[in-house]
Amino acid sequence: MESWIGLGIQVGIPVGLLLLAYAVGSAVEGRHYRSLRARELRSRSFPVLTLRAPPADWRIEGIELVSGSVVVSLDYFKRFLAGLRLLVGGRIASYETLLDRARREAVLRVKEDAFARGCHAVINLRLETARLNRTLGSEGGTAGVEIVAYGTALKLARRSF
Amino acid sequence: MILSNTETIPGRTIREFYGVVTGSTVRAKHIGKDIMAGLKNIVGGELTGYTELLQEARQEALERMIAQAKSVGANAVVNVRFATSSITQGAAELFAYGTAVKVE
Amino acid sequence: MTFEPRTPREDVNVSPVHPLGEAATLVAGIALVVLPLALAVWAAVEIGVRFLPAGLEARWFADLAPDAALGGDPRREMVEALVGRLARHWEGNPYAFRAGVLPEDAPNAFALPGGVIVVTSGLLDGVGSENELAFVLGHELGHFRHRDHLRALGREAFLAVVWAALATSGVGSTLPQTVSSLAERGFSRDQERAADAFGLALLHAEYGHVAGAGGFFTRLPDAEGGVGARLSSWVATHPMSAERLDALHDTARAAVYAEEGTQTPLPATWREAAQ
Repeated sequence: MESWIGLGIQVGIPVGLLLLAYAVGSAVEGRHYRSLRARELRSRSFPVLTLRAPPADWRIEGIELVSGSVVVSLDYFKRFLAGLRLLVGGRIASYETLLDRARREAVLRVKEDAFARGCHAVINLRLETARLNRTLGSEGGTAGVEIVAYGTALKLARRSF
Repeated sequence: MILSNTETIPGRTIREFYGVVTGSTVRAKHIGKDIMAGLKNIVGGELTGYTELLQEARQEALERMIAQAKSVGANAVVNVRFATSSITQGAAELFAYGTAVKVE
Repeated sequence: MTFEPRTPREDVNVSPVHPLGEAATLVAGIALVVLPLALAVWAAVEIGVRFLPAGLEARWFADLAPDAALGGDPRREMVEALVGRLARHWEGNPYAFRAGVLPEDAPNAFALPGGVIVVTSGLLDGVGSENELAFVLGHELGHFRHRDHLRALGREAFLAVVWAALATSGVGSTLPQTVSSLAERGFSRDQERAADAFGLALLHAEYGHVAGAGGFFTRLPDAEGGVGARLSSWVATHPMSAERLDALHDTARAAVYAEEGTQTPLPATWREAAQ
C-alpha cells in the first residue's frame, strides 16, 4: 500500500507541476493575445514598412530612430514539450506561439514609441532575436528569448496616405 | 506571389502597400541525427543533417509569409529578409519578413 | 503608392496542435521505443551474468581490492575467519572470500566483485554479538550467491554508454543524470530480501538458531517507521527496517528456524582491538 502512495507521489508531483505550468501558461498567453489584437486594431492605420526608401510623395519633416524590445520566458511545460521534440524531431509547436507573441509585441512597441515621439510612419523595420542563457543551474539552459524591432520613424508634413 | 529582396520589382510599379508580413518556424532534428552531428564534431565536415533541417525550415517560413501576404490581398512581397536564431540547443528558429505590396 | 491598412492572418505562424494532446502523444511514442530497449538491456545483463564463472570474475577483479587495501584493523582476521565458517555451509561456493575493514563511523557492508566483503569499523562497533555480525556477513554472501553485484555493474556500464552518446549530441542534459542516479540505487528490494533469506539459512546452519539476526536492525534509526521513513525508503530501494524485521520473522517461521537461542558473545578484546 505504501509503495503505491510513494509511486503516486513520485510521478504525481512532476505531472502536477507540468499541468499547473500549462494552465498558467495558457491563461497568460490568452490574455496577451487579446491585448495584442486590440492594440493592433487600434494602430492599424500606422504604417510600418521594411522598405528603405519611403514613397516619393511623402513630405518628410523629421526622422527618429525608434525601437521596441521584449523578453519572453520559457515556461516549464513548453520546455518539457521542446525536450520531447528534440528526441523525435519536427516542429516545436510550443515555442511558435511564444515567438509569434513576442514579435508582434515588439512591433507594437515600435509603433507606440514612434507615435509617442509624434511620428507618423516607420520605415526600414528590422527584427532581431537573441537567446538569453541561464546563469544559475545547468549550463546551456535557455532563460528567455529577446526580440528587438527597430526602424526609422518619419515625421510627415501632412498625412498623405 | 512575387518575392524579392530588393526595394522594387524591376519593370513593375508598386501601387499599394499593406504592411509587414512575417513567417516563422521552430524545428528540431531527431536524436539520431544529433548523435551523428556530435560525432562529426570530432572529425569535421559538413553537417548534412543540420543543413537539411535549416533548408526545410527556411522553406516553411517563406510559405507562411506568403500565406500572410495572400490574406491581405497582396501579389508581391518586397524587401524580404531572413533571420536565424537558436532558441535552444539542437533547435533553430527561422523567420522571414517583408513588406506586402500590390504591383502591376 | 498608397497605404492600405490591412491585418494579416494571425494563425499562419502557429501550429494548430493542442499542447496537452501533443505531450500525451510524444510521451506515449517515446515510451513505446524506450521500454523494449530497457527490456533488451535487462535480458542481456541477465544472460551475461549467468555465463560469467566465478573463477574468471575473481581474476578480473583481483586488482579491485589488493590485500594491502583491505585495512589494518586487527579485527579483520576474525571477520575473514567468520566469513570462511559461514561459507563452508554454502554448497558449491566458488569464491575464496577475503574480508576488509573500512575505517568509517557509519555502519555499512559491501560486496565487491571477485569475492571481497568489506565492512566499516562503525558496523563492527555497532554489533552486539557474533551472531549479529554473522547475519550481516551472511547477507553479503547471499548477494554473491545471486550475483547481484554483477547485475549492478552491467546496468551501470550500459548507462555510461548511453550517457556518453547523449553527451556528444548535447541533448537533454538533465536526463542522463536522473537515469544514472536511479541506477545507483544499488540492489533492489527483492534482491535484498533474497540475500536476507540466505543469511538466515547460513546462520541456522552455523549456530542451530537464528537469534540475533534482527538485533542489528532494531538499533538502526528508522526502525520505528513513520510516514516520512516509509516514503523515503521506497525511493532508497533498501527495505525499511521494520518491514525488514517482519520479513525476517516470516522467513524464519516458514523455514521453521528456532528464533531463540544463546548468542555467541564477541571476544572481550573486540572494542579495545579497534583502538
